[in-house]
Amino acid sequence: MRRYLLLAASIFLLLGLLIAAWQENRHPKPIALTPTLTGQVEYCLTCHSDLAQISNSHPVNTFGCVICHGGEPLALDANLAHSTLRGGKNPSDFSVVQASCGGSNCHSGTVESYNNHIQRATTSIQATYAGAIAIMRYTYGAQSSLAALFGVNAVQDIQSTSGITSLQAFDPAAETNPQLQLFGQNCLTCHLSAQPIQTGGRYDHFTGCAACHTPTQSADLVSVDTTTATQVHKLTTAISYTQCDTCHNRGNYDLRTMTFQPRTDLVANRLQDYYQPIAQFTQCEYTLDCIDCHTRTEAMGDGSLYGSKLDIQYIQCTTCHGTLTELPQTRALTDPNDLAFRLALLNPVVDLKLGDTILVTGKGEPLWNTRVLPDGTYQLVGKATGQVFSFNPVMGSACTQNGVDQSSDYCHTCHSVQR
Amino acid sequence: MRPSFFHHLHPPTIPARQARLRYTLASGGLAVFLSLILLVTGLLEMFYYIPTPDQAAASIQTLTFLVPYGGLVRNLHYWTAQFLVIVTLVHLLRVILTGAYAPPRRLNYLIGMGLLVLAILLDFTGYILRWDEGIRWALVTGTNLVKSIPLIGNALYTLLVGGTQPGPATLIRFYGWHIFGLTLAAGILIAWHTFRVRRDGGIAVPPPPLREDQRRITRYELVRREVLAMLLSATALLLLSSFAPAPLAAPITATSVSQTARAPWFFLWVQQMLKLGNPFFWGVVVPLAVLVLLSLIPYVFPKPAKPELGRWFPKSNRLAQVVALLILISMIALTLLALRPAS
Repeated sequence: MRRYLLLAASIFLLLGLLIAAWQENRHPKPIALTPTLTGQVEYCLTCHSDLAQISNSHPVNTFGCVICHGGEPLALDANLAHSTLRGGKNPSDFSVVQASCGGSNCHSGTVESYNNHIQRATTSIQATYAGAIAIMRYTYGAQSSLAALFGVNAVQDIQSTSGITSLQAFDPAAETNPQLQLFGQNCLTCHLSAQPIQTGGRYDHFTGCAACHTPTQSADLVSVDTTTATQVHKLTTAISYTQCDTCHNRGNYDLRTMTFQPRTDLVANRLQDYYQPIAQFTQCEYTLDCIDCHTRTEAMGDGSLYGSKLDIQYIQCTTCHGTLTELPQTRALTDPNDLAFRLALLNPVVDLKLGDTILVTGKGEPLWNTRVLPDGTYQLVGKATGQVFSFNPVMGSACTQNGVDQSSDYCHTCHSVQR
Repeated sequence: MRPSFFHHLHPPTIPARQARLRYTLASGGLAVFLSLILLVTGLLEMFYYIPTPDQAAASIQTLTFLVPYGGLVRNLHYWTAQFLVIVTLVHLLRVILTGAYAPPRRLNYLIGMGLLVLAILLDFTGYILRWDEGIRWALVTGTNLVKSIPLIGNALYTLLVGGTQPGPATLIRFYGWHIFGLTLAAGILIAWHTFRVRRDGGIAVPPPPLREDQRRITRYELVRREVLAMLLSATALLLLSSFAPAPLAAPITATSVSQTARAPWFFLWVQQMLKLGNPFFWGVVVPLAVLVLLSLIPYVFPKPAKPELGRWFPKSNRLAQVVALLILISMIALTLLALRPAS
């Protein structure tokens, strides 16, 4: 055997070692994080250090990533690291929300129902769609009353204050009427577990909690690119109307064909294009954000099952404006543990102080972004915009509406905006 | 020059014709070299591996991703183990297809068969030590096969698994077998096997008067050739391990659902046979029968003629060649069938 062969092979091995060393040093330097809540080291930041903190309530040094997202904390291979993510890139999807957001110190399990957000959200009418399903089944003869029997998912009511203790999962395939099957296929596109009908546009939203709390639409009416995590890694209670708009008032269901007709015109002018063309609305309804008036209980439920939107949605014009004979209900904040302070802390657009008087709903929920001014007028601060609005009570005005018919429909008759 | 320790491990001279790569395929020597790599890389892995169900997969992730060159060491261990099974099979095939098992080498042939079984068992136990989603199906299926053996199946299962289902006892047992039991047995058999090679007269050749080529090479030339083979194979393994990571999946948890329902590659042929029906027959009897049949070749098949030794495909042991090749082709065909994507 010729000796140069050995020399050549030795050089090959040396080259092999050099390549192995080069390959080893190509790997990114691991960035460790040991969140105080878990005490377990995780290396997600090695690749995700550019990600903005999701919210001030979830500081990354306290929570880290894995406690919400799951995944493999030690793996530096993207496929392996992401293989056990909860709910893909959205851990708040209702199929996994209990594991991601739940827990007695977090968003479920506390005795105060106002903290059991998961129970509230999953039993809310936005999640169950119980009213729509009941009406459709009643209309097509599948049930003899309008009672809510089915939800998008099977769900129990642990409080059972509304009289409905549970809903079965609606299965369109089990329906005999073809219209109901079509309804199940085509019209259940807006509840909180449904994937948006289009992605990359004005319908784009996530499922679960993130459907509302993760903005996929910017306030200037440009859709956020939801494929880049850096753009959507955000949780907020300052929810702009554009987010609500990804489901509400963006199209129509055609009941003959049982199909959804999406709006093709993008909202460019809120006054002209917002809401359905035939709808009447007043100035505050298109100037404010939805959440400036509609409360958390209306949107997220109160933990009990309801059979219709009408049973849980109760904010009316009178809530803030009162009637000719009555002023709106108010509450002076004397208890430092008042829910109003907690809510104002989460979205600090107002500086609430002990002794302030705020408006409250008929159920006593604080409208914490309002304030009664010394001169008897009222002030509202936009939760998503920070804009300050002043308004007056009906009492003492030229309004002639009788005191019995006070639902908003009556107010629209005179106060709707022309377009 | 007095021969060094390493030179002394070899005979002073060996026949040149049978020392060529095209005759030996370098498989026996490579098997020893690969075993040494496995020993060294395995020892290094033991500093990080934690043999408990909740820590095993995480400790492998730590080794792979966070320990400097840990991933390289693990990849080397993995790839070397796979090649050891292949090289051992090639070695067996070479011995059968050249009739080299003829007396007096029958006992050493059996020792070699034992080493093949040990190589496969070591590969399987090492694979199970990952304790991640990728191995769950094979662990459950493999251990359940043991249960299918009549009369002693349940007792064997308890002995192997250490309970009524895989758990911490199973992992520590597989770990014990992998790092100690099987490794010790393999070490003893390797020593015995190489000793018998020398005792049985070195590589199989015809008696001196019948040799066409009387030339011989010295132990110095032999060692040089071995070093060349080691350098080249080490370089190949190093490059492979730098670019092709060893498989790794998410840890097994109480709620996780296994995605993979596939045996490790060297058992795919058995997995495919299991689809035919009776697990005891297809999963235990048939593989053991193949092993017994191969082991009996030197004892019941026509003996290779002495003048024909030292070359490929001697006429006198045609039957053994045909049987071995048929078994090999069947195994490859079954493996390919098992790899087909599910329709």
